[in-house]
Amino acid sequence: MSKKYRYMIVLFMVLTLILGACSPKTADEQEQPAQAEDVTLRVLVHQNPPMVEFMEAFNQKFEAANPGVTVDMSVVNANDLSTVTQTRLTANDVDVVDMFGFANGAQPYMKNVEPPNWQTLIEAGYLMDLTDLAFIKNYDEAALKDAGSYNGKVYSVNLGRVSYSGIYYNKDMFTANNVTVPTTWDELVAACETFAEADIPCMTAGGKDGWPIFVGAYGLTGSIYPDQAALVEGLWTGTIKWNDAKSMEMWDRMKIYAQNMMESGASGVGGDAAPGRFASGAVAMFPGGTWYASAIEASEPAFDWGYIPFPGSNDPEDNKYLFGKYDQGWVIAANTPNKDVAIKYLEAFSEPANYQEFANAVGFIPTQATATLNTKIGQEVAPYLANFRVGLEQYWVAPKGVGQYANPWASYFQPFGTFDDAQELADKVQADLQSGLDALQ
Amino acid sequence: MKAAIKVHKPIKWGRVGSYAVLIIFAIIYANPLLILINTSLKTLPDFMKNATSIASSFNFKNFIDAWTKANFPRYLTNSLIYTVSATLVFVITAMFVAFPISRRYVKGANIILSMFVVALFLPPALIPQFQLMLALGLYNNPIGYILLFTINPIGMVILVNYIKTIPKELDEAAALDGCGYLKFVTAILFPLIRPAIATVAVLHAIGIWNELILPTIYLTNKDYYPITRGMIVFQGVYGSNWPTLAAAVLIMTLPMLLIFLLMQRYIISGLTQGAVKG
Amino acid sequence: MIAYHFGRGRARLTPYFFILPGILLYVIIALGPSLATAVFSFTDATGIRGAPINWIGFENYREFLLLGQAARDNFGALWRTLLFSFFVTTIQFSLGLFVAMLVNQGLKGTNFFRTLYFMPVILGAVIQGLIWSLFLYPLGGPMARLLEFFGTSSEFLGGAPAEAFAWVIVVQIWANMGTTMIIFLAGLQTIPTEMYEAAEIDGATSWQVFKNVTWPLLTPSVNTNLLLNIIGSLQAWQLFLVLIGYRNGTQVLGYMIFAQGFGQTSGSTSSAFRQGYAAAASIILFILVLFIGSTTQVILNRRERRIIG
Repeated sequence: MSKKYRYMIVLFMVLTLILGACSPKTADEQEQPAQAEDVTLRVLVHQNPPMVEFMEAFNQKFEAANPGVTVDMSVVNANDLSTVTQTRLTANDVDVVDMFGFANGAQPYMKNVEPPNWQTLIEAGYLMDLTDLAFIKNYDEAALKDAGSYNGKVYSVNLGRVSYSGIYYNKDMFTANNVTVPTTWDELVAACETFAEADIPCMTAGGKDGWPIFVGAYGLTGSIYPDQAALVEGLWTGTIKWNDAKSMEMWDRMKIYAQNMMESGASGVGGDAAPGRFASGAVAMFPGGTWYASAIEASEPAFDWGYIPFPGSNDPEDNKYLFGKYDQGWVIAANTPNKDVAIKYLEAFSEPANYQEFANAVGFIPTQATATLNTKIGQEVAPYLANFRVGLEQYWVAPKGVGQYANPWASYFQPFGTFDDAQELADKVQADLQSGLDALQ
Repeated sequence: MKAAIKVHKPIKWGRVGSYAVLIIFAIIYANPLLILINTSLKTLPDFMKNATSIASSFNFKNFIDAWTKANFPRYLTNSLIYTVSATLVFVITAMFVAFPISRRYVKGANIILSMFVVALFLPPALIPQFQLMLALGLYNNPIGYILLFTINPIGMVILVNYIKTIPKELDEAAALDGCGYLKFVTAILFPLIRPAIATVAVLHAIGIWNELILPTIYLTNKDYYPITRGMIVFQGVYGSNWPTLAAAVLIMTLPMLLIFLLMQRYIISGLTQGAVKG
Repeated sequence: MIAYHFGRGRARLTPYFFILPGILLYVIIALGPSLATAVFSFTDATGIRGAPINWIGFENYREFLLLGQAARDNFGALWRTLLFSFFVTTIQFSLGLFVAMLVNQGLKGTNFFRTLYFMPVILGAVIQGLIWSLFLYPLGGPMARLLEFFGTSSEFLGGAPAEAFAWVIVVQIWANMGTTMIIFLAGLQTIPTEMYEAAEIDGATSWQVFKNVTWPLLTPSVNTNLLLNIIGSLQAWQLFLVLIGYRNGTQVLGYMIFAQGFGQTSGSTSSAFRQGYAAAASIILFILVLFIGSTTQVILNRRERRIIG
């Protein structure tokens, strides 16, 4: 081989050797106790620009207040968070991890289901028990119990709730067309008809991504079945079926939602394009989660909007719940060599002043009782806060073997899916679910 | 050099016909690519309002943002090191596997070939591979990361099939002239299979360059990040900063584009002609 | 026995010595973990070290192939996978060959065309998906405007499953034709010009030249491309993820495996780790690919021996 090639090969082998020699020692090699100075605290979070921005500022403050500590924060895509959490905990390569609220636990009436990943991690001993630490008291009881506990012990402090069952509405457009804010299903239908007559599309959502359509209808499901935990149990035990009379009410309304209320062409709108479309005044309403608020404000700061629960029932009493889930939380790696620093980190984060700043930055519904909602979305949801409920998605665990239609998803209807007849769809959904339930015998 | 490339005329097409077809394909290929460029020139609010309209002005700020925010210089260097080292190691070791297999100079050559072909079909083994690398102490280590890319069953198949076009008589002739095995492979075979080597090198390099999930798992130290990791700053939870992302992607693909342009010479080289005559 | 000319006795072992690094790397990096996957498929492993693992035999396989409606859905995905592979392979292969020959004529400007056709390969799956999502944007994207010009419209990727599926086929071909092309290009270099000149002198038509000179002499690259095409399209799922997402009626096996292994099917992000089950599903896909791939390889080998000997 010519000299040139030999030279290149040697050069790059040398380069890589140098790189390799500079690799940090693994945690196993760091057996000598970390001194009070010179600690690198490794934090793992998922990508969420306002949150990451806040965290970077917070990390700098923490480093300044704790000389010798460097905070090394890694950011990964939300879809990869679960996998990377698993690998880094296994390799003992992380100290503080961002983990979504504990959900989908196996209930006693569920047979032959797998435990959710957070439970597996706890049982394998990877998450630190936080029960006796002082700072967890800053968070409200419900958050600790519903989103961070297992077997009576606290493993995660959850940082906020999001609601996904509401509708954003264009205040100016409502006034201009003399439409009052709907509080019942019939009023919602009437409102959409008024807009249709004025040639204004009633609703939009990110139909192309699929999930925004059915998430937008979670409010509808919730108003028919306000107790979602009981709904899940009923489905498992057979007392509730997706094609019984009550469910048919839901499906009939979902059909109207998907076909009459959603603008045609919604199936081409991407999930991240939808808030911009709403903010530009192209449509009257936008069913979606509270997380869209900052995107709406960013694309059109002067735009006047409101947020209401999806009025899926004709009894206004049923329409006052906001369904959602617990979002981001913190856990500490049980085997971390930097235990004290990690605890200090979360203590600092949990101080009411810091937490308040965090909640404002990301737009979560706070999980600290002392925090207030200073953002616009916070004010819109404030009247319904007492009626926040965890949604179906956070309780549901499917029996093994269920078909792909075993979900109450409005996106099964045309034009997002292939079904046109509500009864037909309901029967298919129940059949797919039944197939898994039957397999349990 | 260009003058030496012979013009091949395998099929008698009218020149006009050829160009017509080429241009039709060019349109089919260029249009979607122009969208990428168009996106990179828009501002984010413009993009959110109307994703596919033509950019109203040449907004080069995205490129500057992309370069600075994604820490391009450092990560670009890393990507280059990983890609070049792994490709070099792969190409060299692969040559010494492909040659004896296609000539059947080792016992069980067929079985070994099948093994490599089967590797094409293998299921992804992300977690077991991770556990193995962890046990070997190669986690969060550039050398471990490079090692992951020193194999490529596709490249192996290309090489094996290509070497079959080199006549066996050449081996015999060279040996009679006193050429040893190593010298034959490096001095005589290597230049002859340059088109295949170039093809394999390009495909392999591109695969490494664009890889995202493996560095996410294996390289947690920021100093080791390749640029695919650096670009995460532009990706959101419910939506990404597509214009800046598009700009970053365009910057990121430049090195690979350059490598392809360089390698094209070898893929199309007409230098292989004379040597192969019996 | 194959004659080896480079030495006898100890020197005969040289090839073995040099083949070792390649084989070792392959065994450690690819074969080992895949064997582990096979073993995992018979357990209920979660993939977390320290969590209990139990041997459950063929239970995972039974679940994937036989349990409830889910199994029937899996067979639907299997059928779609075969369909996808058939269309992608035949079209991509033919186009790649056609374009390679066009580009090989040494016409002015071929460098540009060659590079342009190869650009998608350089960009990678995620960007390919982004580009085409924008290109096929129903509310005013370039394709939509073109259809408007002809008086029709379509939802493209967000519309009927069959149409969305067809578009993914189009994008897959667009994205990968460049690879097929350069492999053929490399192969075309091995055909000496003298053969063409001789055929010309004999008065052969273009078709006869192709049939009797080009096609037979291209056999190694034909084999390579066919094999890579078929395998690649059977395993492909990334474009589905980026372009369509998880929509009933469009999933292929590769996507089902990814979704079920990483809990993407119910829309929730905190589902169980099911390493064992995902392993079984990927072994099933592997067996399918192995069957089709080996059959292809055997047929191609036989054909090669007939032609080249």
